[in-house]
Amino acid sequence: MSGKSPSSPMSAALDLSGGQPSVPHVSMKSGKVWTFGSTALKIAGLAVFAFLLFGPLANLALWSVAERWYTPFKLPVSYGLRYWEVVFRPTGDAMSSLATSVTIACLTVLVALAVSIPSGYALARLRLPWRTALMILFLLPQAFPSVAIYINVARVFYSIGLSGTITGVVLVHAAHGLVYSVWIAAAAFAAVDRDLELAARNIGASPLRTFFTVTLPLAAPGIMASAIFVFLESLDEFTGTFFVGVPQVTTLPLLLYNASMGGNYQIASITALILLVPSVVFMIVIERFLKADVLSKVGQ
Amino acid sequence: MERPSFLGLLLITPALIMIGALFLYPLGFSLAAAFTEPGGGLSLMHFQKAYELYSTDILFTLFIVVVSTLLTGLFSIIIAGILTLSETPWLIVALRNLYRWPLFIPFIVAAQCMRTFLAKNGLMNNSFVALGLMEPIQTTSFLDWRGIIITFVWKQVPFVTLMLAGAMASIDRATIEAGRNLGASRVRVLIELVLPQVAQTLLVGLVLSFVTMLSVLSVPMMVAGSQPTMLTVDMAFRINSYGDYATANALGVISYLMAGTVAWIYLRHNVKREVQA
Amino acid sequence: MRNCLMTAGLAAFLMTNAASAQTLNVATAGDQNMVDYVKDYLGPMFEKSHPGVKVVAVGTGPGDGGSQKIFEKLDAQKKAGVNSDFDVVVIHQKAAGTMAQDGLIQKYRDALPTGSLVTRDTATNALGTDVTGYVMPMFHSQTAIAYNPDLVKNPPSTYAELRDWAKQNPKQFGYNGIKGGMSGVAFVTGWVSAFGGDAAKLEKGPYDAATKATWDKAMADLKAFNQSVVITPGNAGTLDMLNRGEIAMGPVWVDMFYTWKADGKLPPNMRLKLVSPGMPGQPMYYAIPAKTAQEKLAAEFVALATSPDVQAEGIVKRFNWYPGIDAKNLEGKLDQAAWNQLFADIPPDALAANGKPFPIGPYFNDILETYEKKVAN
Repeated sequence: MSGKSPSSPMSAALDLSGGQPSVPHVSMKSGKVWTFGSTALKIAGLAVFAFLLFGPLANLALWSVAERWYTPFKLPVSYGLRYWEVVFRPTGDAMSSLATSVTIACLTVLVALAVSIPSGYALARLRLPWRTALMILFLLPQAFPSVAIYINVARVFYSIGLSGTITGVVLVHAAHGLVYSVWIAAAAFAAVDRDLELAARNIGASPLRTFFTVTLPLAAPGIMASAIFVFLESLDEFTGTFFVGVPQVTTLPLLLYNASMGGNYQIASITALILLVPSVVFMIVIERFLKADVLSKVGQ
Repeated sequence: MERPSFLGLLLITPALIMIGALFLYPLGFSLAAAFTEPGGGLSLMHFQKAYELYSTDILFTLFIVVVSTLLTGLFSIIIAGILTLSETPWLIVALRNLYRWPLFIPFIVAAQCMRTFLAKNGLMNNSFVALGLMEPIQTTSFLDWRGIIITFVWKQVPFVTLMLAGAMASIDRATIEAGRNLGASRVRVLIELVLPQVAQTLLVGLVLSFVTMLSVLSVPMMVAGSQPTMLTVDMAFRINSYGDYATANALGVISYLMAGTVAWIYLRHNVKREVQA
Repeated sequence: MRNCLMTAGLAAFLMTNAASAQTLNVATAGDQNMVDYVKDYLGPMFEKSHPGVKVVAVGTGPGDGGSQKIFEKLDAQKKAGVNSDFDVVVIHQKAAGTMAQDGLIQKYRDALPTGSLVTRDTATNALGTDVTGYVMPMFHSQTAIAYNPDLVKNPPSTYAELRDWAKQNPKQFGYNGIKGGMSGVAFVTGWVSAFGGDAAKLEKGPYDAATKATWDKAMADLKAFNQSVVITPGNAGTLDMLNRGEIAMGPVWVDMFYTWKADGKLPPNMRLKLVSPGMPGQPMYYAIPAKTAQEKLAAEFVALATSPDVQAEGIVKRFNWYPGIDAKNLEGKLDQAAWNQLFADIPPDALAANGKPFPIGPYFNDILETYEKKVAN
């Protein structure tokens, strides 16, 4: 927290550049003490912040290597990797759930992209009536609390036999992720320089060819980012799968939930760590794909 | 209005069908189911039952989501403010690398973390005891409404901060400089100069957070006990144990109303701004 | 490259081979230990004796909610006129009664070789509904109050003593309400039986809708009681809090209690007490859906599961349940030590005196609804 401010208007007036720690020029000694005190405060603040941020995550790591742990011991009674073996054995739940999750996520991305690339292009380049209304329409699934929606989707799926199938879950995930994919696709296409397209058309390329050879490759980084986003959302999705997929479809979040509610914290923690990997990887990679000009056009 | 592009409409149709079938239709279904009595007429009997059984939970949900949103806003403003106005470069760099971590952690993982972190014998209390900040006898379990609020705030602050920091970075630096040159403290600059310029983004972030928190099922189920609990858990309970879609949908409509009220506040603020401009 | 192709071909061959084998789908309600039982023990055993058959087990969740999911699925598929997805289902008593009445499950017990091994009331009566022939008990379980003897020197022996103890020791007792697990539900119905008046009527019937009103005082007491207790997230939640010393007492399923102890998830010194006038226990039932593609296999599966060997080794020894078939059929199959272990804290006479069934269906529903209206709200 910024716990220090200039101690007098005069020192503020002296602080013209605004880029250096402002040290009251009253006396060097008290200035040094002040700086040291405030630095210590900042370090302490950062430490507390880091603890609050990473403490829960460290907890996960601890539980994943605990074998026996009961009161009144503050730390596990015995450590071991037994539960890792339980989780990762080929016949185990985790491997099949992971496969299911990844399959569903990939299919979701395919469906979302198949639907949102045409829509994004139409919204960005072609004249559409009620364009603003349409953009807001895609925002709606994020604007309504979704549990009630999922309940009714599950009920409809029951009657058409899609409940408990991978298709049903993919559809639900794709609809949920549409807002990201359509909005980001529209922004990505809008960011493509029109002149380049016009140049291609001038040389004689057909509209379709222009799209595939000029527009799409230029918009690709933004679309890739939206694809990764949809992938992650699908991988981590719990509520929709809870209503539509149970009991036959078990994704990794569902496995986590079952393990946690069943008191199996070791398995829950290991599953949580598995779920974290794609998220962390994405966060490190996101800088590359989501460029500033794409981001600035999101929502227009 | 120029002639609309037929091709455009064609291209956007699949997306529209998807939204219509997987969102609008269930939405209409839930509204209809909540208001229809078994005989076929319109009635409020499901709302009455929902109120009889879950009135405490409705208030509980409202309380938690409002408090979480306000706390999220507060912490985001603080962190984004530090990132924009701090004059200690290493602090800015450290903070920027730190705050983003919970952003892509799914709610269910966060719930699992918090369940063991916030317990009476959890890592947080044990750390405090080990550091000598607390006596063992004073440790309490945070696994109730406080745990839910903590989890929500932990998860949503990076999101809103990201938006806020981006917005603050794009405002004209000259206004900040001017304020500082005139002798305003940084806190004052933050509150009176920077915040009004980024209020729009802040509101969007907070509204999105509000709705997100109303949609989460995993956190209240895993972090808190079952009484009182949030509406999402009650809805799931109604469906899973009784197949009682009517009451569940009534609860759903109540949660729509909560989200709708917030959205309306946002829109009103927007309109006021437009009118003023 | 050739290696790669060969591996791919082999994999494809194996996959099609597996796909052409017969699959037996088992859906089980209840906690994770029920799913593990089929996945890790019963499934592989059945597959060994029936080569070419694959057993797929899915769990639908704890408590009546899990059974409700199975009910909805069978109901939907019956209405659509198709074979059900599940070949064997494991369900709670309440759902078994409803399913038998609605014709969703078939009679199979009379033709089963092990059908005559169970003579208990629970094989024919599911909370007041006649289910003769439709079900075979998988096991019998019992709830009891688990306590930490280091923290609780004199455990209460009756509900009344428990109520007073909780008042004097606030937040030291925990149960899960009526959501998330049947141990909390058991505690609540036990409370109503103890304080609500006519316990025998609740168990045997007849159903009288006016009885609801006589529970007002008991419910008000329960609401006051709730102020000084902790509400946990579920069956496992209670056990977990006991483990971490956050509560000192709580209702648990006896089998989960022993299994957790064996896994090192509960301190070794924890004990059980069955308080009077009684706490409910329940069987879980094996049932076969009315219309399924694998009827014969399903019946063979249930026969294996209820055979004395499996009941002794799997149900009692590995998972600490009371057997589903009559105990005398297990003589010789189980060593005395394992048998004694089951009755260590709750001797057979205490079990006989205080182990009760749940109230009959309509009363059961009334209790749950009244709880939600008067106590939870």
